[in-house]
Amino acid sequence: MCMELQLGLALPGSDTWSRPLLKLSLYEDINVNSKKRGFDHGYLEDEFSAASFKNYEKGLVGWPPVETWRRKKLRCQVHNHMTAAENGYCGGRASNSTYVKVKMEGVVIARKIDISIHQSFEKLTTTLMTMFDIFSHFPFIFGSVDENRRSFKLTYQDKEGDWLIAEDVPWR
Amino acid sequence: MAFSFPDEVLEHVFSFIQSDKDRNAVSMVCKSWYEIERWCRRKVFVGNCYAVSPRMVIRRFPEFRSIELKGKPHFADFNLVPDGWGGYVFPWIEEMAGAYPWLEEIRLKRMVVTDESLELIAKSFKNFKVLVLSSCEGFSTDGLAAIAASCKNLKELDLRDCEVDDLSAHWLSHFPETYTSLVSLNISCLGSDEVSFSALERLVGRCTNLKTLRLNRAVPLDKISNILRHAPQLVEFGTGTYTADVRPDVYSDLAGAFSSCKELKSLSGFWDVVPDYLPAIYPVCSKLTSLNLSYATIQSPDLIKLVSHCPNLQRLLVLDYIEDSGLEVLASSCKDLQELRVFPSDPFGAEPNVSLTEQGLVAVSLGCPKLQSVLYFCRRMSNEALVTIARNRPNFTRFRLCIIEPKTADYLTLEPLDVGFGAIVQYCKDLKRLSLSGLLTDRVFEYIGTYAKKLEMLSVAFAGDSDLGLHHVLSGCESLRKLEIRDCPFGDKALLANAAKLETMRSLWMSSCAVSFAACKLLGQKMPRLNVEVIDERGPPDSRPENCPVDKLYIYRSIAGPRCDMPPFVWTMDEDSGLRL
Repeated sequence: MCMELQLGLALPGSDTWSRPLLKLSLYEDINVNSKKRGFDHGYLEDEFSAASFKNYEKGLVGWPPVETWRRKKLRCQVHNHMTAAENGYCGGRASNSTYVKVKMEGVVIARKIDISIHQSFEKLTTTLMTMFDIFSHFPFIFGSVDENRRSFKLTYQDKEGDWLIAEDVPWR
Repeated sequence: MAFSFPDEVLEHVFSFIQSDKDRNAVSMVCKSWYEIERWCRRKVFVGNCYAVSPRMVIRRFPEFRSIELKGKPHFADFNLVPDGWGGYVFPWIEEMAGAYPWLEEIRLKRMVVTDESLELIAKSFKNFKVLVLSSCEGFSTDGLAAIAASCKNLKELDLRDCEVDDLSAHWLSHFPETYTSLVSLNISCLGSDEVSFSALERLVGRCTNLKTLRLNRAVPLDKISNILRHAPQLVEFGTGTYTADVRPDVYSDLAGAFSSCKELKSLSGFWDVVPDYLPAIYPVCSKLTSLNLSYATIQSPDLIKLVSHCPNLQRLLVLDYIEDSGLEVLASSCKDLQELRVFPSDPFGAEPNVSLTEQGLVAVSLGCPKLQSVLYFCRRMSNEALVTIARNRPNFTRFRLCIIEPKTADYLTLEPLDVGFGAIVQYCKDLKRLSLSGLLTDRVFEYIGTYAKKLEMLSVAFAGDSDLGLHHVLSGCESLRKLEIRDCPFGDKALLANAAKLETMRSLWMSSCAVSFAACKLLGQKMPRLNVEVIDERGPPDSRPENCPVDKLYIYRSIAGPRCDMPPFVWTMDEDSGLRL
């Protein structure tokens, strides 16, 4: 099952989110090496105060030390309790990977991010902003992390090619 | 005048010696004992598949029947070892296929097993009996079909925690109708569609010696009754999904089926469990010695009810839904408890979702006199609690504590937890395995180096201040075999000063520490019997300054020399690397 998401980040002041300044494309890579995440997460520098970030936002690999098969089996159960099985998210043949590849326009190197370790869109956006070093690309963005984050709108493009606001859909 | 027994007598005496350690000791007494022992060793254990080559093993032990091999480092379980690192079993199967047509048992842990390997096993060993694959990957149901079709004497097929490619649900049907020797079958890791129910039922029905059956999630609740009725002699059983609409007929069927199993001692499975169906197992609870509820997402009251029915429990795996209150009940009901593992239900949540604290562990340590092995995930700890635990339970052999937030201090005093863990190593004189967590300084390593003389395996994360910490461990822990470290400020000095120690150990893993590339090269150059492997996905380590820390380091002793199957992101530091300095 291949899910193609395209995320767009729009700067404050832009009238429509359909003309994003930064376009992030997410492709669910079926063959993604879910075990090869080591460095991509190590890349995340703790630029902001430690207090505002917990393990899961820092993207600590392998912490807490719960075996990968145990995590998968437990996560599948939570999903089955909450959403319909035909979602295909965690059934028998669906990809077990929750890794998505993020590519930013104008940047050669793609990054990988595990969406399952993020609990909300805010946290996902913040992580993406850090990953792509947005603050050094756009020095005119002042204010706190929260203010800047709120000025970006996450959008995604579903299979039919429609652009939708990510936050309209529940996180899970 | 030399006095000696005839070889046959010695061989007969040696046949009573089963443990590898004892066998190894026997073989070192003198040359003739070495010779006799090697011809009669039937079980070979290789703790690191790269420490020795298949040919060397076969040359030394010409007549073994059983082999156990381990591949990847332990931290591979937590995604710290990139895919493609290694641990391929095929070269071993290939060598043994030629030399050993009478091989009966293969046990593998953390290895890459391909369908080709499985097919070669099926084809080569006519009397093959036991295949145990623990945390392995790389194969599909096609490989399993080959095993099922060809291994007429297969007794045990155990795929615990493996990653299997599901290609066809029909591999089970490849067991011929004449095949009846199955004693143990564990397919709990298989995905949703990887089993054919009718084939399973027929197989279970005709294998009257079946003692262990662990099903996978795909097997629904209403199928369990039939299966159990076909196999009332089962000793160990793992359910599939334990959920269904609550119906009295299904319930009484299930309860009846469980009651008919008079030998049942161990239960597991319980995916998607619905509490209403739990009492169906009450008839067997009084005999249960092992219960694995680590996938059962039920709350404390239901867990308490269940546990109260199991007075003979020796081993319990459970989620932290059990909470402190549940552990208190466990402490008062299960006086035979030897092993407890409490897993986190929400490991990534910022706030605790359950009321499970250090109190639960204290209660169990106080109440269960035979408790010796613990794995405990929690969110807070105190030195006081650890000291109490250590004083009350000096018989711990395995103590693994994971405080979920790294560098968490004693919640009462805000001090490091050095003193608490120090008490553990001081009082628990037989401690063989220890995992640390929380806020820890070099002090805790001083305690460990001083007291933990029987410690064989140590896991460290986000701890220590300086190289002194690592030095204490390497210089003090006489029995240390495996050391795994992540995210600690340990660098070159301690490692180089204790280089000789590394040859007395199986392996050392260090990731996200401060060991420089230069030190790795030096170590590789000076210690020819160590394989010093640098794992770095950023690119070749010599493309960065030499004093740059390497990402991951895996050092292990080996008489086979550097391996030849390394992926592009692994570099071995051998004797020649010194010349390039």
